[in-house]
Amino acid sequence: MQKKRKEKSLVMTNRMYLFLIPALTMFVIFWVIPLLMLFRYSITNFNGINQNYDYVGFKNFITLWKENIIGISIKNTVTYTVILVFVSNVAGLALAMALNAKIRMKGFYRTAAYLPTLFSAIVIGFIWTYVYMPSNGLIATLMNQVGMDGSKFNILAGFKSALYGITIVDIWKNIGTAMIIYLAGLQTIDESMLEAGQIDGCTGFQLMRYVKLPLISATITINVILSVIAGLKAFDYVFIMTNGGPGKSTNTLMYTIYKIAFTDQMLGKSAALSVIAFIVIIAITIVMLFFMNKREVEL
Amino acid sequence: MKKLLSLILSLVLVVSVLSGCSSGKDNSDGNSASNGGASGSGEKTVITFMCSGTQATEGEDFETQTLKKMVEAKFPNVTLEVTKLPDDQYYTSLKTKLATGEAPDIMWVQPRNAGANAVYALAKAGYLADLSDLNAAKTVPGTGDFNYDGKVYAIPCGVQFLGAYYNKDMFEANGIEVPTDWDSFLAACETLKNAGIQPIVMGDKDAYVMQFGLYQLAANVVYPKNAEYDNQLADGTTKFTDKDTWDRVLSMYSELYEKGYIEKGSLGIGASQAIQQFIDGQAAMTFDGTFNAAAIKASGAADFERGYFPLPGNAAGGTTYVAGAPGAGPAVYAESKNAELCKQILEYWFDAESDLCKAFQNNPRFITSYEGAPVDPLFNDFIDAYSKGNSFYWCNQAWPAGTENEMEALFGEHIGGQGTTIQQITQGMQNKFEELYTE
Repeated sequence: MQKKRKEKSLVMTNRMYLFLIPALTMFVIFWVIPLLMLFRYSITNFNGINQNYDYVGFKNFITLWKENIIGISIKNTVTYTVILVFVSNVAGLALAMALNAKIRMKGFYRTAAYLPTLFSAIVIGFIWTYVYMPSNGLIATLMNQVGMDGSKFNILAGFKSALYGITIVDIWKNIGTAMIIYLAGLQTIDESMLEAGQIDGCTGFQLMRYVKLPLISATITINVILSVIAGLKAFDYVFIMTNGGPGKSTNTLMYTIYKIAFTDQMLGKSAALSVIAFIVIIAITIVMLFFMNKREVEL
Repeated sequence: MKKLLSLILSLVLVVSVLSGCSSGKDNSDGNSASNGGASGSGEKTVITFMCSGTQATEGEDFETQTLKKMVEAKFPNVTLEVTKLPDDQYYTSLKTKLATGEAPDIMWVQPRNAGANAVYALAKAGYLADLSDLNAAKTVPGTGDFNYDGKVYAIPCGVQFLGAYYNKDMFEANGIEVPTDWDSFLAACETLKNAGIQPIVMGDKDAYVMQFGLYQLAANVVYPKNAEYDNQLADGTTKFTDKDTWDRVLSMYSELYEKGYIEKGSLGIGASQAIQQFIDGQAAMTFDGTFNAAAIKASGAADFERGYFPLPGNAAGGTTYVAGAPGAGPAVYAESKNAELCKQILEYWFDAESDLCKAFQNNPRFITSYEGAPVDPLFNDFIDAYSKGNSFYWCNQAWPAGTENEMEALFGEHIGGQGTTIQQITQGMQNKFEELYTE
């Protein structure tokens, strides 16, 4: 790489950079400029209608801090993300290993595990509100039939449980994707490696820990990154299933931004929260990059 | 590599500077749009009308079909272009069009501070034409809610109510009369509860339904004593924390939860699920608005007769006030080249004698108080109270949007056992109001 840069490329001549302009223009107009405008709006009291807005300095940020909106939404988003990343990856990997084994009707099970992924989030969220519905929902009815008190079951109404309730739904949908990627990763492992391990006397666990996992480390990285992204942008299930409620217990960053902008009509304040979300996400990305790079070197 | 980076950076700079200039230009263009040339070269004048809502599934749609047809028949030189969009798309589209100076000639606005197309916000920004001199502004009831700084800016299309739908069969079986004051309402709930019937079901997971009960109580507790309560919030004469105003409304409503009259665990039930439970005969009452009448009347697992009464928040012997809000209505764009023509169209629309007005009254979507207009018998009591003036608007229409969300969130915490007190709710509402209110 280092050497090549110094040489003059025959393919990528300077003139070829001209071809970057169309794509670059689009990128600048639809991405860079709106982003810069976001920073500008974050210090105004723009309400989306009146173009004669005032610059209010850091008032938006101070209010967000005072009302503890920052604290609540970051806490909820991080909780959501951590659970989603951990559970959907562990479960997805376990599922992929099971479905990679030589079992009958493998194709059927793989399809069944992947099926939830195919539906839109709106449909899934809506159906799960019926699954969770107190006293008449699927789970409550099942509990009644096995002799438990189903009328007490009301996960979306609980201030502590509602966030977990919607995380479970996201996990349910996410597992399929994680499983497919892990499955692809597992299938790239050369049989001879595993045989070599077995000849050297590896137990099943050792085979997994010291042979399979290191070999699919790239797959793990991509899966973790994908689910971190899914977790940080958590919006759909909150919007459909709880509307941020009960109280404010399921207000995630993205949902709060939406709510401030489109129900409170405070686009300035919402832009301020977006700036904070931007910083939080960048921070998380940096930490992850650092961690992931280090881990891949180790392995 | 460095060269490329600097290239990108300078591009970004150049483009952002350019865009800064151009956005400035846009603004001035928007302001001077009215100076543009006369309308079209053809004889036909095109009037654009944008409104929100969904197309009627059966029969003629009022705005896109009836209105267009009849206006064009009455004004032969006019082509009325009607665009009807779902609420959220309408808000976005309207905002964009207003910002670029290309707003429709006639637009759909909501009373006071309600929604993104609230008449106060639009009138304040100077987007709406003064309609005070129209006949319709003087005769149609409810224009007071479209009055900003002493001028009327839109004409309301009918009225909507909040009330309690009830299962007549269950009431009769338990010997309950329709309650007319708060104590008899509580007694009725107690009777139902003792008979093993869930008195009220609410879908509080969709927190907006809390407004259905609360606003009816506020119409009886807060406004009869001080009709200017909400206006005085603006200058600080009144506050949500004042004694015997919202603290009382909230504690009355919270009583229904404490005593188990409203289904336990309502925070886990959605609005449509609650309606389903009501029409399946699993509860005797649900608070809802006239706008949901179709869903309430749909047949469920149980077959029973539906009734509808205003939730009586008054003391025995007092008057029950209803929570009735004028519906959204048309307003004229201030910069429209055909503002005069638009006003004539509105006059024609709301002139009680005109064919268009008759068609408007006969459309089941609108509840109007014109004499002889057909009204769903369910709503008779409400129309009576409304015509007598025993009615107050829905509270959130007078508040900056977002105040009610704070109220719902905090009240949710209160009934969900999070230890939020009534006093903390009113304080929270007051803080939110002060934050959102701008003048």
